[in-house]
Amino acid sequence: MSAGSFAFFMNLPTLFFLGLVLAYPVIYAGYLSVHQVGLAQLRRGVFAFNGWDNYSRVLEDPLFWIAIKNTSIFTAITVGSEVVLAVLIALLLNQTGIWTSRITRFLILLPYAIPPIANGLIWSFLYSFQFGFLNRILFSLGLIDDPINWAGNPDTALYAVTVPYIWRTLPFAIILVHAALQGIPRELYEAAAVDGARAWHRFWHITLPLLRPIIAIILVLRTAFAFAVFEEILAITQGGPGDATWVAAWYSYKITFSPPNNFGMGSASAFILTLMIGLIALVYMRMVYRRVTL
Amino acid sequence: MFATSRTTKLMLHIANLMVIAFILLPLVAVLIGSIQSEKALQADTRRVLPLEFTLDNFTVILTKGEQKGRIFEQVTYLPDNIKNFYTAFLNSAIVAGSVTFLTLLFGSLSAYTIARQRFRWTLFLLQANIVARFVPVIVLMIPLYVVMRSVGQLNSLTGVIIAETGFLLPYAILILAPYFDTIPAELEEAARIDGCSRFSAFVHVVLPLATPALAACGVIMFIISWHELLIPLILNARPDVMTLPVVIASLVGDVHVFFNLMMAICLLALAPTVILVALLQRYIVEGLSAGAVKG
Repeated sequence: MSAGSFAFFMNLPTLFFLGLVLAYPVIYAGYLSVHQVGLAQLRRGVFAFNGWDNYSRVLEDPLFWIAIKNTSIFTAITVGSEVVLAVLIALLLNQTGIWTSRITRFLILLPYAIPPIANGLIWSFLYSFQFGFLNRILFSLGLIDDPINWAGNPDTALYAVTVPYIWRTLPFAIILVHAALQGIPRELYEAAAVDGARAWHRFWHITLPLLRPIIAIILVLRTAFAFAVFEEILAITQGGPGDATWVAAWYSYKITFSPPNNFGMGSASAFILTLMIGLIALVYMRMVYRRVTL
Repeated sequence: MFATSRTTKLMLHIANLMVIAFILLPLVAVLIGSIQSEKALQADTRRVLPLEFTLDNFTVILTKGEQKGRIFEQVTYLPDNIKNFYTAFLNSAIVAGSVTFLTLLFGSLSAYTIARQRFRWTLFLLQANIVARFVPVIVLMIPLYVVMRSVGQLNSLTGVIIAETGFLLPYAILILAPYFDTIPAELEEAARIDGCSRFSAFVHVVLPLATPALAACGVIMFIISWHELLIPLILNARPDVMTLPVVIASLVGDVHVFFNLMMAICLLALAPTVILVALLQRYIVEGLSAGAVKG
């Protein structure tokens, strides 16, 4: 068998699944987004073409823009804090002479093991106004006199839901930075120490420049995924209070799967979200696989 | 690495303690929440540790609501989903097991050819996989719901397995391809000279060498699949085909379920993947780095 046909047969299952579950649905979502599709139409199986109607209805919906704004704030906060925390914690893990760093290294991957929806529910217990675990701790430490309504206050709810998300997704970023740190040759630091460079200078002039590629990768990957945040929102706030934590994926989900079940508008909004994330994906590809050879 | 002063050391210890406290906070909360009664949680809203502990929350879930224990004595209504714990656990295991098997099988076939056979279309396939990794689940789920509905595959585990396999396959390929690239091609060439076909050289020479990569990829696939909510949530609404995350999501906003019971079911749902992560940490770390940055 020639190399070409061998490669083709080896890839048949993948091509089949990519086509069935990724390419076809994305194209079909595009199709649905320019048709009028509700439950009644689904039952009959006939969709009427309605041009850009769904898109203009989405773009004229104030709630959609609130969702985009909230998603942007959510993404900026989570990605920004994750990059800073990942670098700091990875440096901490790299300390060989500190015995507590060994404990941290042992525990660091734990959040990766928690199902996102369970994580959300656990934090809704932590955040609960009346019965919450966080308020209990603060009471016991004597730090507060009255309970704080963490996720129920429209001014703080969006910030409150960033913390569980950061908690769950931070290990991934830390592991990437930590792996990159271990690739930096010791000689560089030793030479700098001989030259009398202080710790801060060594970090600024050696570590940080060498970490730049991995930081860029984390920025892009985490931005793309934070843009589609869903589980923590569902478990902790369900978009509330009011519209304070409506995010893009939650918008598409609610428009589609709760009455009046507008599949057309849902597809249109999901398509807009996909285009935005698609742009981020292109940036990522240029960055990592520039000369697409492995 | 360098001589550190006493104050620096102290600050590093404090920083570690803060990180450890942050990691453990939700885990301590779920543990303490799950071993007390609703009454204890409500009686004193300022206590961290209640006066008495109980395992009744777990008993009521694990006996499908038959043995209520002391704290649920007065309770007349329990959501059916709580009673369906075993079914949901089994469904989750079937889905995650099948998805892991299928993504490893198809993923290694693809990743191997992408790493070895450099045609224009295999490079394109690699790029397609990178882009595919970014596609948000929600945009897939709306059309998939419409399609599965029309072909009668709603409320079936098969539908969920197919959807998750397709969704995770690109990621599996991205994790595996760099590993296959590091296996020297000379080994297969030697096997081919001895009369092996391309396929049997792959199965008998390459795959055994790739065991660590398959372990790393497999455990990551299992974890993501065990955690997946949106796909089964949208495709499966009937209790007999729900997975654990769907059961947990169904408790959100149910006024009859208080935090103690929720925390108990969360703890039971997160235990399997926590054990996996504790046992296979090294493989997961390698797999995550391989999947994000090429080799």
